[in-house]
Amino acid sequence: MKQFVTVLKFELNNYFKNKSFMLTTILLAVLMVGVIVVPTFIPGLLKEDTSGKKQDTQIQEEAEESESLGIFVDTGEVQDVDSLLSSMPYQWKTYEDENSIKEAVKANEIEGGFILHSASEVTYVVNNLAVEDRLSEEFSSALAAHEKRAYLMGKGLTAEEAAAADMVNINLEPEILGKNSVRNYAYTYALVFIIYFLILFYGQMIAVSVTTEKSNRAIEILVTSVNPNSLIFGKVLAGAIAGVLQMVLIVGSGFAAYGAFKDAWGGGLDFLFNIPGRVLAAYAVFGTLSYLLYAFIYGTLGALVSKTEDISKSSTPITIVYVASFLVAMLGLTNTDSLMVKVASYIPFTSGNAMFIRVSMGSVGAWEIILSGLILLLSCIVTGIFAAKLFRFGTLHYGNPLKFTKALKSVKEQQ
Amino acid sequence: MKLEVKGLKKNFGEQEILHGISFSVESGSALGLLGRNGAGKTTTIRILMDVFKGNGGSVLMDGKPFRPREYQIGYLPEERGLYPKKTVSEQLIYLGMLRGLSAKAAKDSMKKWIERMGVSEYENRKLETLSKGNQQKVQLAQTLICDPAVIILDEPFSGLDPVNSQILKDVIKEQIQAGKLVIFSSHQMSYVEEFCEEIAILNHGQIVLSGDLKEIKREFGRDRLVMSSLDEEAPDLARRLNDTFSDLLEVEKIQKDRVIIKKKQPENKPAILKRLLEQDVDLEYFGLYEPSLNDIFVEKAGDEA
Repeated sequence: MKQFVTVLKFELNNYFKNKSFMLTTILLAVLMVGVIVVPTFIPGLLKEDTSGKKQDTQIQEEAEESESLGIFVDTGEVQDVDSLLSSMPYQWKTYEDENSIKEAVKANEIEGGFILHSASEVTYVVNNLAVEDRLSEEFSSALAAHEKRAYLMGKGLTAEEAAAADMVNINLEPEILGKNSVRNYAYTYALVFIIYFLILFYGQMIAVSVTTEKSNRAIEILVTSVNPNSLIFGKVLAGAIAGVLQMVLIVGSGFAAYGAFKDAWGGGLDFLFNIPGRVLAAYAVFGTLSYLLYAFIYGTLGALVSKTEDISKSSTPITIVYVASFLVAMLGLTNTDSLMVKVASYIPFTSGNAMFIRVSMGSVGAWEIILSGLILLLSCIVTGIFAAKLFRFGTLHYGNPLKFTKALKSVKEQQ
Repeated sequence: MKLEVKGLKKNFGEQEILHGISFSVESGSALGLLGRNGAGKTTTIRILMDVFKGNGGSVLMDGKPFRPREYQIGYLPEERGLYPKKTVSEQLIYLGMLRGLSAKAAKDSMKKWIERMGVSEYENRKLETLSKGNQQKVQLAQTLICDPAVIILDEPFSGLDPVNSQILKDVIKEQIQAGKLVIFSSHQMSYVEEFCEEIAILNHGQIVLSGDLKEIKREFGRDRLVMSSLDEEAPDLARRLNDTFSDLLEVEKIQKDRVIIKKKQPENKPAILKRLLEQDVDLEYFGLYEPSLNDIFVEKAGDEA
């Protein structure tokens, strides 16, 4: 135990004395605070949000007014075309035949042209059709409204009455009994992404810290004076603690800054920072456990290679497994009740993410959470013990990277 | 304490590398494990240190199975290496603490040993900035930092200049006098000769010679005499001996300006001396042949090149 503490302290020191580690942490924390604090000092950015929007639309309208469009009426069905055109705020040019309107579009004299074949059939002539072309939609709804009004007026209604029939507004207000997935989405996504980054980044760092001692040949002194369990647990836990601390510092400074400037934001970032306690608790438990699980695996992989250059090659399979777990979680964000997410929430490699999103965004029973957590915890312990065995075996193996299966076999034979 | 190695065997894959190594060594003395490259010295030491297990045989300390982690052992592995990016003091204290010293004791011991090794000026420098020889000395300080009762050194002299080798020799002598049990491997015979009482010569995974160095030398020198003449070159003397002394001796070899002969009968020495005087040889040197360890080593381990 004393040795374990010594190793842990030494390895933690390696992280904290690492300038780039400290610098990244401080920079990211400052950046986080900056992003939250600075906008509150820029007048008009947060509070006068709505007036800003108005200005935007005005500008848009002005731009639209100057746009000119063409029309060619090829039917007698549509009455009072002028009032149809005046309901759309563009400069209209009337053409007498199909060819001349197409020529005008080609020559860029007009943005687009509409050819009315009947009350319900229109050809839209345009040079390039953008994905979100609002003109065609605008025209068809204007035409539909125009025809409706004409019909109603034909039935004896006055123009005002016909217009009033169109003015019925329905106010829909959702009342959520379960979970508001829309609101939970942002912070769940952010939290899953943070743990994704942590595992991939620190996994590599842990693997490197194990391999380094092999490549600088200090390992022979170490394994002859320290219990290998103390060594690998110390190293992996040091990496885990450093990672979690770094994250807590960065994200925590975000929370602190938002806490202090919440009023200035008018609660505008609640969708990111207002996280319920039980979601955070689930995140802490499942995040930490799956982080540890992967950390042990990365540590073992580090012990199986002799040179730091070989790590990325050896760790690719486990990285792929984790990326797959991340993708499952990302897909699951839109539907937490799918079978895929449910199954994934019990498999130790994926449950960290999958169970967390179920807790955060879906509804899940307490026993399910506990069961999944226990499976994950058990896997962590087994992997840890296993890692220590493989580590001891792999440490003095130099040369080509050891195949995982071969290492397993050798460990079995030794016992 | 008495460390005994009995019938140690080791296979790597199908190939047997050690075929039953046996030797023993007691506190207050040093055993030199000698052998050519690839003879099995490092493998033997690694099994001793429980870096890996042997496939047969046993290692006993005072009659009980030897578990290295239960003793304070100073181990200098053949694969030298510490943390290049750490300062000298930092890593020495860390390794001292790993072997059970308190932080303060580790620091004091670190100061003492870097002083003794003459590297105290580099205390706060990163290891990678030191020369290879100085790194080696830091490595030795690491070996001795926990005041070990057993000291195992694998090729301790490789990479050291004569002055540093002398420092190391003195340190090892001190340790032997302090009652430590020392085992070391080397192929630098002259160093081994200076402080080793016991040697074991390994060749192709077998002990080809072991025992008390003085006795081995005496055994090797038995029946052999060495002589030189003032007025004759060694080859001329050798020729004369061959021609006129062939009933008493045979010339074995010429070593620099001396001739080494082998007596045909153990009690021939007075007769040889008498005839030398009769023949009016101007004797410069006449005495018992004492082989150097190098001669013994070449003869025992150099047979199959």
